[in-house]
Amino acid sequence: MKDVLHLIGMYTKTTAKSWFQYRVDAVLKSLAVFLREATGIIVIWFTLLKFDDLNGWNIYEMLFLFSLLFLTYGIMIIFFTGLRDFGSTVRSGNFDRFILRPRGLLFQIIFVNSDWFAALGHGGLGITLFLISAGKVGIRWNMYNAVYYIFTVAGGVLIQGAVFLFLATLNIYLLQTNSLKGLIYWNMRKFAGYPISIFHKAIQFFMIYVMPFAFVNYFPAQYLLRKDDMSDYPEIFMYLTPAVGIVMYLIAYLFWRFSIRFYKSSGN
Amino acid sequence: MINFENVSKYALNNVSIHIPKGEIVGLIGASGAGKTTMIKLSCGLLAPESGRVYTLDKNPVLNRKLYKNNISTFIAGVPLLCHDDTVSQGFELIRNMYGIEKTEFHKRYEKLSEQLDFGKYESQSVKNLSLGQRMRAELGAALIYEPKLLLLDEPNVGLDENGKSVLCEILTERCKNGMTVLMTSHDMSGVSKMCGRIALLDGGKLVFYGSEDNLRSRYAPIDVMRVKICGNIPDFEDLPLKKYFVQGDILTLSYNSNHITSAEILKLILRQTSVSEVSIRKPSLESIISQLKKGGYYELY
Repeated sequence: MKDVLHLIGMYTKTTAKSWFQYRVDAVLKSLAVFLREATGIIVIWFTLLKFDDLNGWNIYEMLFLFSLLFLTYGIMIIFFTGLRDFGSTVRSGNFDRFILRPRGLLFQIIFVNSDWFAALGHGGLGITLFLISAGKVGIRWNMYNAVYYIFTVAGGVLIQGAVFLFLATLNIYLLQTNSLKGLIYWNMRKFAGYPISIFHKAIQFFMIYVMPFAFVNYFPAQYLLRKDDMSDYPEIFMYLTPAVGIVMYLIAYLFWRFSIRFYKSSGN
Repeated sequence: MINFENVSKYALNNVSIHIPKGEIVGLIGASGAGKTTMIKLSCGLLAPESGRVYTLDKNPVLNRKLYKNNISTFIAGVPLLCHDDTVSQGFELIRNMYGIEKTEFHKRYEKLSEQLDFGKYESQSVKNLSLGQRMRAELGAALIYEPKLLLLDEPNVGLDENGKSVLCEILTERCKNGMTVLMTSHDMSGVSKMCGRIALLDGGKLVFYGSEDNLRSRYAPIDVMRVKICGNIPDFEDLPLKKYFVQGDILTLSYNSNHITSAEILKLILRQTSVSEVSIRKPSLESIISQLKKGGYYELY
């Protein structure tokens, strides 16, 4: 166990060093990610100036919804960059090196690389939005709320991590899964910034049961904000996020364990 | 150590081979003959389409525990040291990963870095090294945890003459202590120097497997002897010579070494005249291989 921690420490040191080798570059790139994501929010801000609210959600409540989405992604990408880039790792032959070493494959994938720019950009935006909105949406913060919030963020991280792990595993069978990832992850994520009650039933179904972004931000936000549109859904959904995260991650992990036996290196 | 039973995969077609412990086996053949495929099958990066592969009596695809201190694999394109690390950081990572005790590791590191001479750039990051420098460090990384089996794919690429001979020295010494090596190479003189056995692949088939002497006596037994004579030309009517010719006082004889030994010829010459210089040339591995390639490998089957 001690040597595992030591190894994690070494990996983290090396990654951080290589990502932050050029300071100005690192700051600008993180800022670029931050601004890229923030533009979307600014557009919504201006739109809501005209409409006042969206199905009962005012602008600050919307920002709170967004903050959960960005914060969980920012934390998730620290650990799961290796899975995001798994396709190119396989194609470049780097995965062969992992196989030849006497350590767990997933362990190596998770700790060998972290996209710190995405983490800072998304995470920073998440924290900024939280700071802007948290005081203005009428949440009375106490111990229970805070614990709920921490567990729910952890659950949201696991849900998205599970999707990344699942999509990475598909790389073992298919050579290219980027367009699939675009379809079921990035496109659905665009919907996830809004309260799902405004969408068609089919999209709601997709967001709850297929790519459960609703558990990443909508239902947790409902627990804290208690808007009227929650009456459309079972109340229990507000408490399920950590459980959904753990179950999804377990399923994705079992799928990974099952599939990795079929991995084949290229010939020469 | 390694056992292939009727293995087919990509280019390889029904290959069976046994590689015994403590042996250095050189895998040679043209590009695309299946050399790297054989290495990857041996370390479990590839599973055979048909047939069976055993490495240390286990199926390497299913037994990832084998990698711990047992197998070290060095394949061009699968670097052992991370690009962004310095050389010594890369080694420290390996020490951690394989759980080697600190003082023991430093002892090995000192020795290897001196032999392979990568100590002087240990604080530079790997991406800034030249190809040869990187190869030296990578070879050190492959050797430092003292594996029982070493799989090398083209270890001589980028190495200078000194590097090649040092590698040869290290491998020979390690094999005396029981390490087994399977290596591919296009450098025939290197293979000839270190490998006890040669496996020749052509078009996915194993066309020859045995020692170099064996290969020579079977397919290229003609030796050439040049003798500088002081005195009269001797007579060798009854010797089974292929051909001979005289040029001034230099006599060139070629003969089949399976039929007569050089000692016998020399004895006969010395009985009749005196000699000032003798040189015997056996065909080099390189020339045997290229000659076989020209003639087609059919006579080997």
